[in-house]
Order: sequence, then C-alpha cells, then structure tokens
Amino acid sequence: MNTNRILQVQNITKIYGKGVNQTTALSGISFDVLEVEFLGIMCGSGSGKTTLLNCISTMLKPTTGKILLNGDDISSFKGKSLANYRGNKIGYLYQSFELLDNLTARENIILPLSLHGVSNQNAEKALSSLAMHLDITDVLDKFPSQMSGGQKQRTAAARAFISDPDIVLADEPTGALDSKNAWVLLDKLSTLNREENKTIVMVTHDANAASYCSRILFIQDGTIFHELRKNTKNETPAMFYERIMTVIAQLGGGSANVL
Amino acid sequence: MFFRQILSNTKKNRKDNGLFFATLIIAIVAFYTLLSLESQDVMRFLNTIESDAVRKLMLLVPLIYVVSLFFVFFLVYFAYRYQMENRRKEFGLYLMLGMKRSRLFLMLICETVLNSILSILAGIPIALLLTESISLATARLVGLGIIGHQFTVSLNAVLGTIGGFFLVQLAAMLILSFRFCRMEPAALLRPETETVQKTVSGKRGFFVFFCGVICLIAAYIMGIFLLNTFRFTLTLLILICGIIGTFLLYRGLGAFIGQIIQKHKAKKTGLYTFTGRQIQESVLHQHTSLAVSSLLLLLALACISFGIGMGVGSTGSERRICDFSLMGLDEDVNAFLNKEEIQNMTETCYPMYLDKYHMDTKLSLTGITQALEKVPQSSLRDNMIESISSKDEWQDITLISQSSFNSLLRSIGEEELVLEKDQVAFYSRISADSPEFVQIMEAALQTGAYVEQTDGQTTRRFEVLPRMYYNNIVADRAITLYMALIVPDELYFEWIPEPDTPFCWNLCLDEDLIQNQGLLQAILQMDERLSASGLEYDSYLGGIGRTLFYTVTSSYLSIYLGVLFLLIANMVLILKYLIWQKKNRRRYLTLLMLGAEKEELSRSMASQIHLYYLLVLSVAACNAIFAIWSMFTSFMRLPAGASIQLVIALAIAAFICFILVELVYISIVQHKSRRDILSLHVAEWTEN
Repeated sequence: MNTNRILQVQNITKIYGKGVNQTTALSGISFDVLEVEFLGIMCGSGSGKTTLLNCISTMLKPTTGKILLNGDDISSFKGKSLANYRGNKIGYLYQSFELLDNLTARENIILPLSLHGVSNQNAEKALSSLAMHLDITDVLDKFPSQMSGGQKQRTAAARAFISDPDIVLADEPTGALDSKNAWVLLDKLSTLNREENKTIVMVTHDANAASYCSRILFIQDGTIFHELRKNTKNETPAMFYERIMTVIAQLGGGSANVL
Repeated sequence: MFFRQILSNTKKNRKDNGLFFATLIIAIVAFYTLLSLESQDVMRFLNTIESDAVRKLMLLVPLIYVVSLFFVFFLVYFAYRYQMENRRKEFGLYLMLGMKRSRLFLMLICETVLNSILSILAGIPIALLLTESISLATARLVGLGIIGHQFTVSLNAVLGTIGGFFLVQLAAMLILSFRFCRMEPAALLRPETETVQKTVSGKRGFFVFFCGVICLIAAYIMGIFLLNTFRFTLTLLILICGIIGTFLLYRGLGAFIGQIIQKHKAKKTGLYTFTGRQIQESVLHQHTSLAVSSLLLLLALACISFGIGMGVGSTGSERRICDFSLMGLDEDVNAFLNKEEIQNMTETCYPMYLDKYHMDTKLSLTGITQALEKVPQSSLRDNMIESISSKDEWQDITLISQSSFNSLLRSIGEEELVLEKDQVAFYSRISADSPEFVQIMEAALQTGAYVEQTDGQTTRRFEVLPRMYYNNIVADRAITLYMALIVPDELYFEWIPEPDTPFCWNLCLDEDLIQNQGLLQAILQMDERLSASGLEYDSYLGGIGRTLFYTVTSSYLSIYLGVLFLLIANMVLILKYLIWQKKNRRRYLTLLMLGAEKEELSRSMASQIHLYYLLVLSVAACNAIFAIWSMFTSFMRLPAGASIQLVIALAIAAFICFILVELVYISIVQHKSRRDILSLHVAEWTEN
C-alpha cells in the first residue's frame, strides 16, 4: 500500500467567539490522508464535521494547528495560489450538488479547467473518460434541470475530478439521493479510487455510505474518537458495515465502551 | 415596540438602499414638475393675455399626469420588489417567531407610509428648487425677464404630488405585501434561488428571432417610404409591427446567444461560457422587461427629439420681424407715432405698401410655370404649377413695393433687395413651412423665369430674380400670402391705383426697452398704449407669440415625458438586473470555491452588465433612428427657416447627454455589483 501522506492535519483547534461566549468546535484533531485512500469521516451532529471540512477547504482558518497538502501549509496560500489550491488541488462534492444551472453538464464539468486557462478543446479528453466512468455521457449537453438527482451528483463528481486534484472532499454526497442512486454514486467513487488512484475524503453519517471507504475516522465532540480500517482483501462492504454499526452503537456510551 | 421596529426598519432600509430612496424622490420630482406647470412664470404671464390657450393646455396636464402615474407605478413597484427580495429572510423569521401574517402586512404598510412621508419631505424641496430654476430659465429664454419672478409653492401641485405618490406607493406595496405575506415561512427563509432554467429549442428560437427582425424591417420600411403624412391606420400598423417585432426579437434572442456560445466556447477559457450563459439566461427569463425597457427608451428618444424639433422649428422659422402692425388712417397712425413716449419706445416704424394689381392689362405668370416644368417632376411641383396656373391671367395678384420690403429686411438686419427697372422678385409665405417648396421654386427661378404684362399689342417682360423671399410681412402670422411679387417702387406706383395708402405700419420696439424689460413685458406695455389709442393693430404676441406658446409648451411637455421615460426605463433595467443578480449570489460562491478569483468574477460581472445594456440600447437606438427619421419626413417637417445645423448639433448634444445618462446608470450598477462580489465570502457556502 502506498504510504505517501497527501494531507496532514496537525493538531488543529477551532474556537468560535471570545471570552465567556467561546465555543470549541475542534479540540486538537490530527490525522493523515494517504495517497489513493478512500477515507471516511463519521460523526454526529455538532461534532465539528463542518468546521473540519471548512478548514481543509480554506473556508475557515483554524485557531491553532496546521494543515499541510503535500507538505505545503495551506494557510499560507493567498491570491493566485489560493485560487489554484481551490480549483486544482482540491475537488469538492457536496450534498446539494452546487451545479450552475444555467450551464450544461459539459460546461459545468470543465468549468474548473476553464478557470485555470485550459481551453474547452483540450479538456475534452479528460471529460469523455470521466463521463464514461460516471455514466453521464448521454446527459452532457443537458441543463441540470433536465437531469435526475443521481445524474446531477455524478456530474458534480465529474467536475470534482476533472482537474485531477490531489484530493476530493465529499460532504454527505449521498444526502440528497435515493438509495439506488446513492449506491450507484458510491460504487463509481469507489471504482475511481481503486482504478484511477484518486484520493477521496468523504464526510458522512450514513454507515452504508461509509462502508465503501477503506478507512473511517469517528469524530465526537471535536476529537478523533475511533478509527476503523477495512481489510481490503477479504472484507466485503457488508461485513465492514457490520463493524461500523457496532462502533456507532457503542458511540452513545462514550469512549469506555469502544474496543 | 411595534412602531419602534417600524422606525428602525425604515432607517435601515434607507441606509442600505440609496437607489431605492432615490427612485422615490425621482417619482415625487416628476409629479411636482408636471403639476406645477400652471404656476410657472411664463404660464402665469400668458394666462393674463391668452387665458384660453393656457386653459386648453391645462386640460392636457391631468392626462399626462395619469400617464406619468401609470409609468411611475412600475418604477416604484420594481424598487419595492428589489427591496423586499433583499428582506425575504427577515420576513420568514418574523413569521417563524410567531408574527401573524396580518401584523406583518400592517408592518409593511406602515413602513411604506413612513417611507413616503420621508421621501415627500426630502423630495418636495428638491422639486421646488428644480421647478423654480426651470421657471427662471424659461422666463429668461422667452424674454419675460426675471423682474416679475415670484417664488411660488403651488398648493394644488403639492397635494396632487402627495396624492399621486401615495396612490402609486400603496398600490405597488399592496400587491407586493400580499404576495410576500402569503408565502410560506420556509419559502421565505430559503434564499430565492435561480428560477428553473428555461430552454428554448434552437429552431423555434431562431424562427421567433427572425420573425421579430422581419416585423421590425417591415415597420422601418413602412415608416420611411409610406408614411408621408400622418395617417392613423398606417401609423397604428407601424406601431404594432414595431412593438411585436421588438418583443419577438428579444423572445428569440436567447437561442441566438446560445448558438454564439456553442460556436466559440471550444477555444475560450476562463468565464467566457459562464458570462455568455448568464446573458442568455437573463434574456430568456427577462425578455419581456428587456423589450419594455427598450421600447421605453425608444419612446424617450422619440419624445426628446420631437421636443427639440418643435423647439428649434418654432425659434428657427418664426423670426421676429416686427412687434406690431398698425392699421388705420395715416393721420391717426402718425399722431400716435409722434407722441414722445411712443417714440422713446420705438426702434423703427415703417409703412408696408402692398396691394392687388389693378390694371386692365393682363399680368401673365406663364414664364414661372414654364420654368417650373423644367424642374424634375414631383407631386409638389405639379401642385405648384397647378396653383400658379390658376392665378395666371388673374389681374389681382398682390404686389409689394420694393422700398417697404427693404425697410423690413433692414430692420431684421438682412441684405437689401436690389431690383432693376425690369426685374421683380417672387414672394410666397407658404414656403416658410416647406423647405421643398423653396428648393423647387428656386431651382425653377434659376432656369430663367419671367412675368409678362400684355395689353393685346405690346408685351413687357420682367425677369424674376433667382432667389425667392418668404419673410413674414406683418406682425401677425395669421395673414398669409400664398404668392406675391415684389416690384420696384416705380412699377408699384404705376400699377396701383392708390399707391400712397400703406397696407399697415410695422413697428419694432426699442432694443434697450426689450433688453431691460424683457420682450413680453415690453410688448405688453406698448399693447396697453395701443389699445388706449383706439387704433386697429396686430401684435407679435397675438399671432406668432401664440404659436410660439403652443410649440414651446408642447416641446416642454414632450421633453418632460421623454426624460420621465428615460428615467423609468433605466430604473426598471437596473432594478431588474440587481434582483436577478441577487438570486445568482450562490453561483458566484460556487465559482469562488472552484477557484475563480474575485477580480475575474468582477470582470465577468462587468461584461454581463455591458452586454445587458448593449442588448437594450442597441435595439432602442436602431428603432429610434428609424422612428425619428420617419417622424421628421412625415408629420413633423422642419420649417424652411430652421437651421438644419442647429437641429443636428442639438440632436448630437441630446444624444451625448443620453449616452452620459446611460453611462452613469451603467457605472451605478457596476459599482453595486462589484461591491456585492467583493463582499462574497466562501464561508457563506456552507450556510443554507
């Protein structure tokens, strides 16, 4: 297994407010994301999931601690390098798709490349391969309003992967999908991870979705609480799901109950 | 508590929304300017001598007031809608916190009333200042002088303004409040996202677009080639074609833009596709308001050019020849003129000799009709030949003596007319209103026209000068000579039975008096003395002045309407654009997340604004060129005396002003949008 560390989250804390109004959202989280990993982060509501994701995607600055992408501190990015980080180094996949609904699927997908000066002609090759992987070749010239939810999310996924980012952040990507479409999407993400060596970090509270990951971090009250690794050779998603459910069941009892 | 909340809400609205407040003030100024017309200096003055004309004009004012109410309603409606779209989340929260819908409704209405009161307090002084300056400027322009200026606050106008303003505001607010209060809190709390993407199939779009173009071309052709005089049915047909054409053009434009994006996007990078799609979407969603704004701008341009044409026409052709024409017995007139007081007030006074030809011998005009036949054929030329032939052989053609006509030319500072013994000059008053008449006649005269006097045995031939004359020969324009001959004095005395009796005495007022008192005051003073003397007379004011009054007021009113349409069209455009932009906030956030820089977004936004305005302005300008062209070649002809250079210079000045106004509006939108873009923060992404 490749052990190159793409993303290093080093002891980050995030405190909102001042004085007596202080709220601690993250209290010293550290973890690494390895290359070609499908990392799941599971957490309950209010456990700091959004804050963590916002810190990684540069929407928020952590109060203390560092986040390194390939060894570079992302908090030092400004102006062009920040835009480059957002557009080229990181891809996003969100629950509500966030497609621009006045652009066709094709235009939406190649938008990150256009923004970085790649002409549409040159983007075509990467686009057709991704569209095939994600099974959206037929809808490329449609507008989002003419597509199903699953097609929209797979289009959003193609947009996240088009610029070949170092890492793709997925925030509850199946949250707005029915179970069949959720299954199709996770299967595609998992295939991209295995066959195309894409690194994905997915935040979810759905154990079913998490069972497609290769490693899962459980976060509660701003700290990492537990970690599960999938035995990639022998373990099926169903078996991994059983283990995840056990952890979730024990989460309610606090750390003392976790094996 | 409730009222404190209303107070703080209105305060916040005013601070956040200068544009909205400016709109309300513009509405007030527009109403007051129109309604206070009656109390303007010039109007008050004319009311004393021409009360009938003023009364007729004042009957027109309510009609224009209703038209303004109608248009200002849209202005206020869009301003309020923009403001309420910005506050929808706040309304949602009120409802969620348990405020009753009826109370929310009451709160909004109270806010409107408070806003109205404040706008009136701010707007009325501005309106007063503006109307007073207009009053002073026009008084100075028409020669009324500023001595008689009175500061007036027309109570009726203030009441009419307040009434109309409240009516418009409440109507707009009732419709909007009703709409917003009926919405579910959840719908209010959710930021209004972009409406469902409309797609128009390429073929259908192109078909509609080309139908629009064909309708417009048909309207242009009809306007220019068929509309020679004002004909109701044809004008209506042109208007319908033009309006339908404009609507269809914008309806189909979306597909056209889509095609352009498809064609060019392969090689473009950056936000090219996004910018194009944004424009395409704005056209697809707002084609109706784009068409309405474009037509309003066209109306504004047409009204303003009509106003300028009328204004220039009236000042250009109706040059003041003299101020009074006195009629009566020589001794009575002389007795009056010899008074010292009158002499002090008079610059010049000369007798005007004109009378009908009264000889047994025939005076033949065949030489003139023959010359006309040499000119290229046209319907006007044929008419001229026909009417001159009908006068041919007439023995009572009017003759004007050379010396009195020269006195007239001298008094207005023009070169004197030189006639040899056997020369005459052609005169026609009709040609003052028709430059073509002068053109055709002078072309004919240059080929060598003549007049012959035949008594059966001998024939005397008189050469007609190549230049014709059309200056008014008396103070009152109502006296019109279709055709006359200016003849040397010897001939006049030979051909006229009573050559010593002048037709009238033309009196010009002393220049110093006019300078000091203003033309109208000076005329009024002389008028008083003349009416006391019992002499029969015509005055400049009674004739030309009255026409001047109609043309000046009609040009004032059409320019007023033009400016109003211009303001409304621009406000509707701005507000529509900003409302739409507000809905697109999420898109810009997405772009930021995808790695676009704020400067890049700002540039895309600027191109969108430019293209958006270009779409409206180009169609309006193109329509306006043809509309104004056909207007000036049909029912609104410039009089012969009007200087074409002056009209063109004024048209260019007006057009530059129009462009400047548009640039100011564009920069306002750009500034506001740029501020919105710079205020975007990626952290907003995770909200909602």
